[in-house]
Parts: sequence; structure tokens; C-alpha cells
Amino acid sequence: MLFAAFNWLEHNSWIVAIDSTAVESAVLLIVHYFGFFLLVGSIAVVNLRLLGVGVPGETAGRLGKQIFSTMWTGLVLSLLSGFILFAGSATQYYNNQVFYLKVLIVLLAIVCTVIIQWNVSSWDRLPAVPVWAKWLAFVSIALWIGAILIGVEIPGLTGVG
Amino acid sequence: MYNLLLALCHWLQNTPLVLWLYGSNWAYPPVQATHFTGLSLWIGTNVALDLRLLGLGKGRQTIAELSDALFILNWAGFAIAILGGFLLFSVSATGYVANPAFRIKLGILLPVALLLHIVNQRKARVWSQAAETPVLAKVAGLAELLLWLSVAIAAVSIPFV
Repeated sequence: MLFAAFNWLEHNSWIVAIDSTAVESAVLLIVHYFGFFLLVGSIAVVNLRLLGVGVPGETAGRLGKQIFSTMWTGLVLSLLSGFILFAGSATQYYNNQVFYLKVLIVLLAIVCTVIIQWNVSSWDRLPAVPVWAKWLAFVSIALWIGAILIGVEIPGLTGVG
Repeated sequence: MYNLLLALCHWLQNTPLVLWLYGSNWAYPPVQATHFTGLSLWIGTNVALDLRLLGLGKGRQTIAELSDALFILNWAGFAIAILGGFLLFSVSATGYVANPAFRIKLGILLPVALLLHIVNQRKARVWSQAAETPVLAKVAGLAELLLWLSVAIAAVSIPFV
């Protein structure tokens, strides 16, 4: 069932058209990397501020309000380009356990990020950042760095990508 | 001059640490992930400031406030990216210096983008004093954004040229 869906995706005329030219593949890679840098850089700034790193006078909530739009732009760019990059070789990823682990890590990281965005303004109003918020920020950073690490490991470990 | 550079690169890629890095299945991806983590912080914070120069979120923070808040993490990201980048370069130094995309990236685009970034950071306070963001600031923000995108394009092009 899943393999059939991956196979259909890989042979979709749009995906085939995009995947068949070197220029379009290179553009996708650039968008994927650049989007991911925007995403991880933005969320890291807020997470590190929650952990006490950065300028003392600046709260994580104020920083977040300023740069969450950059973060979501990065997320949309990296997810869209990442999906098209995956679709071009979808069947090769079917049995790729490392790839599924990457998807899981990215999904968990997004969940952490959304929880932080929802709550960060209310943490500003407290005398100190709650301990669980600091742990969440730490886990979020670890998951995003894990996503980068596993992303670069996939070609080496599995020969795909 | 070029021969001296080649000799230096040859020496670098035959140092024990670099030979170990080259021969190890596990060491290279973490170095790549280090480079990408640093780039995330660097590009994420640069683009956040560039977008602020272009007027995004102007009701929240002044250009100077945002620049000050991101300053430490911005340059920490740069240091991490340079460390990871240097190690990646050292593994195949003679190949990189002969690569046209790498030469354009490191010889032209990176120094120009870096210079403009330093100018933008130094001008942030002056530009914040005006009621409306000066046109020069917007042009500088857009130029820096496009320059970093060009650096990413050159970097992705390295394996293809």
C-alpha cells in the first residue's frame, strides 16, 4: 500500500519533470538548505534565550515575536523542497529506516517548536522561565541538530540521497 | 602563488587529523553537521536582521534592538560554521581550490557578503534613529539577503562544476 503510494509519487509527471533536470534539482537543494538554515537558526535563537544564552535584557517572547515569521518561512521552504526531493526517489526511501527516523525526529522537533511558540509569551510574564520550558528548549535544539546529523548521515549509511 | 597555495593544501590534507577524518566512516558526517548547525545560526540570524531592515516586524523591535539581541549568537554561528567548513575543506583542499564554484564562493561572494553584514550591523543604531527605515537600509538588507543566497547557490554548485 505504502510502496504503491511511493511508486505513484515517484512516477507522477510533475515530479518526473522536476527531477529530470539538473538545474531544477539544484534549485530544490538550495531552497531546502536555505529554508532549513532559516528554520533552525530562528528557533535556536529563541530556545537558547530560554536557556539563558543571549542578551539579558531581551526576553525569548519578544525575540520570538520578531523572528517566528522567519522560522515559519524556513519551515515551509524546507518541507516543500524536501518533499519534492524525497518524491523523486520515493521508492528508494521505502525500506530506508534512517529516513523514517529523520522524519520522526523532524515531526517531534516541530511539535516542540509549536509548544514553545504557543507558550513563550506567557513565560515572559513569569519571574523566571519554568524548568520544563528550559528542558523543552534543550530537547528542541537537540532534535533539530539531530535532524541535521541524521540528514547528512542518510547518504553515507544507506547510499540514498 | 597558486603553486604555493596548492602545496599548502596538499600539506593540509595529508596532516594526521585530516587523514583520520577522511578515512573514518563516522567522523565526516558530524563535521558536516557542525558546519550546517553553524550555518543555521549564522544564516537564520542574518536573514532575520535583513528582513527587519526590509521592514518586517517594524512595530515590534527597532533594527538596533534586534541586531544587539542576535549579535552574540550570530557570530557564534559564524565561528562554528568556519570551524566545520575548514575541516570539510581540508579533506579535499587541492580539489576545492581548483573548483570554480568554490573559488567564486570563497573568493568573491563570501567576503562581499561578510563585509556588507558588518556594515549593516554597525549602521543598525543610526538607521534605528529615523522614524521610517531609510531606503539605503532597505537596499542594504535586500543586497545582503541576495548575497547569502548567492553563497548558498555557489556552495550547492560545487559538486556539479
